[in-house]
Amino acid sequence: MTSYLIKRLLAMIPTLLGITLITFFIIKLAPGDPISLKVQAMQGLKAEAMSAQVAEEMLKLYGLKVELPPKYEAFIHNFTTRIHGSDPQDKPFFIRKALTWLGQNAIQYTTWIKKLVKLDFGRSFKDHRPVLDKIKEALPITLTLNILEIIIVYFISIPLGVYSALHRETFLDSTIMLFLFILYSLPSFWVATILLMYLASGDHLNWFPMLGIISDGADQLSFFEKIGNVAWHLVLPVTAMVYGGFAFLTRFSRSTMLEVVKQDFVRTAAAKGLPRRKVIWKHAFRNQLIPLITLMGTLLPALLGGSVIIEQIFSIPGMGKLAFESVLARDYPTIMAIAAISAFLTLISLLLSDLAYVWVDPRITFEGRGKK
Amino acid sequence: MKKRISILKFLLLVVVLTTGCNIQVPKDPYTLVYHLGSEPDTLNRLTATDAYEGRINGFIFDGLIERDNATLEFKPKLAENWEISDDKLTFTFHLRQGIKWHDGAPFTADDVLYTYKQIMNEKVDAPHLRVYYKDIKEVEKLDDYTVRFTYSIPYFKALEFVGGISVIPKHLFDDGQDFNSHPVNRAPIGTGPYKFKEWQTGKRIVLERNEAYWDQTKFPDIKKILFKIIPDDTVALQVLKKGDLDIASLRPIQWVRQTGSPQFNEQFMKLQYYTPGYRYVGWNLRRPFFQDKKVRRALAQLINREAIVDKLEYGLGKLVTGPFWIFGYEYNQELPNITFNPEAAKKLLDESGWIDRDGDGIREKDGVKFSFTFLIPAGAAFYTRLATIMKSDFEKAGVEINIQTMEWAAFVNRLNSRDFDAVSLAWAFGFDEDPYQVWHSTQVEKGSNFVGFNNGEADRLLEEARTVFDKEKRAKLYHRLHEIIYEEQPYAFLYTGPALVARQRRFSNVNVYPAGIDILEWKVDKGP
Repeated sequence: MTSYLIKRLLAMIPTLLGITLITFFIIKLAPGDPISLKVQAMQGLKAEAMSAQVAEEMLKLYGLKVELPPKYEAFIHNFTTRIHGSDPQDKPFFIRKALTWLGQNAIQYTTWIKKLVKLDFGRSFKDHRPVLDKIKEALPITLTLNILEIIIVYFISIPLGVYSALHRETFLDSTIMLFLFILYSLPSFWVATILLMYLASGDHLNWFPMLGIISDGADQLSFFEKIGNVAWHLVLPVTAMVYGGFAFLTRFSRSTMLEVVKQDFVRTAAAKGLPRRKVIWKHAFRNQLIPLITLMGTLLPALLGGSVIIEQIFSIPGMGKLAFESVLARDYPTIMAIAAISAFLTLISLLLSDLAYVWVDPRITFEGRGKK
Repeated sequence: MKKRISILKFLLLVVVLTTGCNIQVPKDPYTLVYHLGSEPDTLNRLTATDAYEGRINGFIFDGLIERDNATLEFKPKLAENWEISDDKLTFTFHLRQGIKWHDGAPFTADDVLYTYKQIMNEKVDAPHLRVYYKDIKEVEKLDDYTVRFTYSIPYFKALEFVGGISVIPKHLFDDGQDFNSHPVNRAPIGTGPYKFKEWQTGKRIVLERNEAYWDQTKFPDIKKILFKIIPDDTVALQVLKKGDLDIASLRPIQWVRQTGSPQFNEQFMKLQYYTPGYRYVGWNLRRPFFQDKKVRRALAQLINREAIVDKLEYGLGKLVTGPFWIFGYEYNQELPNITFNPEAAKKLLDESGWIDRDGDGIREKDGVKFSFTFLIPAGAAFYTRLATIMKSDFEKAGVEINIQTMEWAAFVNRLNSRDFDAVSLAWAFGFDEDPYQVWHSTQVEKGSNFVGFNNGEADRLLEEARTVFDKEKRAKLYHRLHEIIYEEQPYAFLYTGPALVARQRRFSNVNVYPAGIDILEWKVDKGP
């Protein structure tokens, strides 16, 4: 077991490097850059021709322009001369541009990795605050929302799927599925707005707050009142987040249950004369859970990602907004940090779900998995 | 199953309990709750690049000079008075004595000097400001309360730039810490009527009245300003209606359709005013289609601007003919609006040689089809709808438009590399505008003249106007410039839209000036 774990953990390093490398180059290749955005943001686009020197200073300040080692410079020169016959500096050929770009970004990526090892994600280009601070502010909010969402979706969908499977092809089964698919097809921005308009705006009902996750004067409340206040704020956003999730999981749980119910051991259990409840919940249901573990692999990274739309409508400063705004502002350090953390969590949760397989299904062993 | 029910019951109980015992914090009439659509990145006046920073710091800081709300002329603020040399190159400011920063340290000439040095410091993330101060030759401290700026060239906006310099406290920043990420950036200290109190990221920013404010004539009645960050403007309007906001911007549809009820008008009053700016469609003059000014005029006649203002802005907007503030002295009021006239447009296109010879419904000339890409920024419904209206009208006249929507950063990239056919955008600017960056031929390559407008007389007028300090003389030059641009039609000028605001009736002495509204003079009615 230990050797298996170590093997898996070691294998994660190149995977993580690969993911971050690809992310890094994708965001660098995307059109636009943080400097011109900043300069032009001030007054619409009303920038006077910025001198090349100022632009250069800014690129250096942000670490987007670094010194290339002389050896590499010489290589660029020789290579370009060999291909094009000459190597003018003022009107560079494509080869020179491409090689310079590659060299620049290779150095910047290495610097980023070196800092990452020390868990230093750098500073945001947008406001010069440490990226980690920004994530620390947004993460708890998103985690709370997502954990609630997942719990509610699982607690409702799985029993509902089992129920549907046991009453398959009946009126109730089709009604449940129809209803869930209707829910699934409702766009969340619309539902969220409707919820706000009818339940919170005061035009119709005034049951819930319009925005945020805690009231302004909440500092004066006791601990339990505070929890209550947060719960009160979370009702609408969580409702808007969960309703679309039922269909998939119910469907999934229904089909796995149908498969399990057909198995011999279920028939045997029923033939033994066990009460129906025991047959279903002890014999069938437990085995039905195995495929659900595959889904666990997607759980951890899903916990981290926020919904841009829900956060926007309910004015919640979570991870979705942070990630979205960083992409719009080409805030490379923040994008990279979020990508790296998500990638890491995905890998970890894949590992965990593999471990869970062994745990729930004695036929699978580490040795067998490790060798293959 | 049983467990699930009990959990649900528990949740329900929690909800009921909290709604029941939720303590309503009583509203203080002296607190103004202000809507912000997004949060500023930083409250450092030099490194900030968004509009939100100014709205907040405007309450925390004073300028050396400030514009009068009504006349828009400059008047003393932190500077008691100032002198301008006869050659218009040196500006000497005599600072008011005895003014203190919010932390008690005295405000002196050193702060002004330090601010200038930081703006020019290449380690400081303020390239957008450096452009404004690049023509300053020297800044000297004559004594603790006198500063002198010397320009290398005369420029009519110099007083605005040096007098409007965003002074920051030297004693706080000059402590060896990195300037761009300094802690004071998130807890600014100024000399103004309000002090910074707290900033909860993504939620709110709170300011408190500076009880020791030096300028008694501008001592505000409102004790606290709470900026609430609500990104969605539909939600913001509902929050306003619910009474949790005191002032919010409205969109035209909200102004016309959603704020007409008697209940609303009992609680709120709506205000509108026009700030300098305009929307336009810009033609890339390097492209074969747009090189002839006759064609550009024809295209302008194909844009149904009355309908656009009517349908997209609910009639809230004024058509413009040129690149100046419609209420400004620079604007040439004599030029008539170009009206929607497809027949005249078709005739002009025929005359300039764009004729549909092969019968496919699209005009062509010298083998080039009149089919161009119209680049618009993504995310704003206005541009999409504008493009759709234009597309249908243009195609009826034999001109094909392909609409291309791009995310902002990519859009800016395309503008900077001049890689577009036609584009729609808006300019927002200040009072006493200098349109040099947008129209001078030196700005064609890298500046904001991305359409590539190049006109010798316009260049001369722009250069001359920069050195003319007399408003009326400058107005003459700009009227002529306006006329040239109107003749040439490098842009199809659309309209300028008003700022729309709803505010609580609890406040009195609310005036709408050319410069907008001034919360500092608002009085609070204690109410019944």
